[in-house]
Amino acid sequence: MALIELKDVNKTYFGAQPLHVLKGINLDIERGEFVSIMGASGSGKSTLLNILGILDNYDTGEYRLDGKLIWNLTESQAADYRNRMIGFIFQSYNLIGFKTAVENVELPLFYQGIGRHKRHMMAMEYLEKMGLTAWAGHFPNEMSGGQKQRVAIARALVTHPDIILADEPTGALDSRTSVEIMDLLGRLNREDKMTIIVVTHESGVANAADKIIHISDGVIGSVEENRQHDSAHFGEGGIIK
Amino acid sequence: MRDSLKEIWTTLSHNKLRTSLTGFAVAWGIFMLIALLGAGNGLLHALLSNMSEVETNSMEVWPGRMTKSYGGLKEGTWLSFDMKDVELLRSAAFSDVIDIVSPQTSTSATVTYGREHVSSNINGFTSERKTIDNIRMEYGRFINQDDEKERSKVLVVGSRMAINLLGGDETNYRRIIGRNVIVNGLSFKVVGIFHTDESYDFNDSYAPFEVVRMLRGGDDHIDGITFTFHGIRTEKQNDRFEARLKKAIAVTHFAAPDDSGVAYVWSRFTNNMQMNKAMRYVRIALWILGIFTLVSGIVGVSNIMLISVKERTHEFGIRKAIGAKPWGILKLIIGESVAITALFGYVGMVCGLLACQIMDKTLASKPTDLGFIQMYIFKDPSVGLDVAMEATLLLIVAGTIAGLVPAWKASKVKPIEALRDE
Repeated sequence: MALIELKDVNKTYFGAQPLHVLKGINLDIERGEFVSIMGASGSGKSTLLNILGILDNYDTGEYRLDGKLIWNLTESQAADYRNRMIGFIFQSYNLIGFKTAVENVELPLFYQGIGRHKRHMMAMEYLEKMGLTAWAGHFPNEMSGGQKQRVAIARALVTHPDIILADEPTGALDSRTSVEIMDLLGRLNREDKMTIIVVTHESGVANAADKIIHISDGVIGSVEENRQHDSAHFGEGGIIK
Repeated sequence: MRDSLKEIWTTLSHNKLRTSLTGFAVAWGIFMLIALLGAGNGLLHALLSNMSEVETNSMEVWPGRMTKSYGGLKEGTWLSFDMKDVELLRSAAFSDVIDIVSPQTSTSATVTYGREHVSSNINGFTSERKTIDNIRMEYGRFINQDDEKERSKVLVVGSRMAINLLGGDETNYRRIIGRNVIVNGLSFKVVGIFHTDESYDFNDSYAPFEVVRMLRGGDDHIDGITFTFHGIRTEKQNDRFEARLKKAIAVTHFAAPDDSGVAYVWSRFTNNMQMNKAMRYVRIALWILGIFTLVSGIVGVSNIMLISVKERTHEFGIRKAIGAKPWGILKLIIGESVAITALFGYVGMVCGLLACQIMDKTLASKPTDLGFIQMYIFKDPSVGLDVAMEATLLLIVAGTIAGLVPAWKASKVKPIEALRDE
């Protein structure tokens, strides 16, 4: 059984003109896979990621996460799934500005009801893994883009989620930092067997994954096994190809 | 719990301006509420203290002036009361209403003790007057029935007069009791000292009614008549009785029966009713003002919380994305609202109580000089700690309610929409 199973998933935004953004998506992602969802702007890739992350609902079809049907969940149930099973990495980091790095990392644990001391220890452990121990007490506005993204990764990892969902994780970073971040995600996948799904429009970033799913106009165009992925390929010379 | 409080504190301390603005609205609300209640109480206490001096079921009647010519007497003729009028009120004609009748006459005289001379207004009272006017004795006794029967030359002096007679001895003025003073060449024994306020600057004294008439040269003139009554419960009944009384006086004095100018009547009962009405209005006004102040505080908090929620939509999106449940967001906003109202409400309460203290030390410390008399128009402007605590608790509840709508909105926002909000 795949970790993520999507069967004929449709999504329409009802505005002045209804916009059918996802058209019958069928997709299986196995545990431990590193998948890139690639597509142009407006192709529906971010909508797909939001549905996978239970941040948004789908209209028809079926979405199973670890065998459980994700449909008609209450806000609390959805929050619980997100907290325990999914770690998010966003393009704009989405750190809370008035909280320090360690406080940001502690936040998902706070919502799990973990005590202050343990929470702090766990957050520090992940900041250390990200090489940010010295920055634990700093606020996001005192950090570089790469540091902020590493704090966001630490926050995504601290709850030991089943999946990491990254939406354009290098979109706001320079080339060198982008390489570092993708390297980090690659290592997490290889060493910790973490399932990672990255949404990107950059082929260089997508190349870091084992599988590249091309999406266009709300439809999965092709699923490409990427056997030659290597961070050096997309990061060579600091320029993303 | 501790974690939640820390979370609330972190948010509040980060948004110092917003927190202090919201807090100011709350503190100002509770400050105004307590200051208003204090000021209102000051006013009411002063009114009550003035009212407590007299029995409320009593009336005073003085001779008036004819407003129309009648029976050979010209319009504008002054009437003069004498014992006939006293007998009229004591007669069966008024026994259904009137209980005790106490005539009053007065004279000015120089009272001498040793080398001290004091000009005094000596009021001729009957023994019942002490109860009717609620005269507070400091030392000794009031005029009694034996004095009246024996026409004893006894004098009850005001504390101010006692001090003046002893050359300004404010500490031991009771020693005037039992001493003889000279009134218009006659020896009077001081038998009591009644209380007068420090501010009261008149040398008033009381002597038996018949004795004062004698001092006046034995004339039949009466200044006025005071009496107690029963069975009058409404202003309408009071008005009917006054008309009946005036008619009887007019007939006795051969004036037109419908001439309402023949006597002036001051009903302490209606005065009391009017006072009560005024106090009721003051209380209602205070409540209305208090409620409006409170409502404006609630609206202020709610408004700022709404703005705050709008500003923080993105933050709530992040929180929801990483696992915050709607209840968690609700708890956070309400917690912030309650923390602000409780903290600043306490500050406002303390400031309000301080303001009451300042009012007490300034406005209520001295009586107001109304020209002919000095009286307190502001007294003890205090608010009980229980009331202050209740008001603050009420504001905390109000703060919870104020935070409820924005919190509900925040908890309902979809995480994806919140994340898109910048």
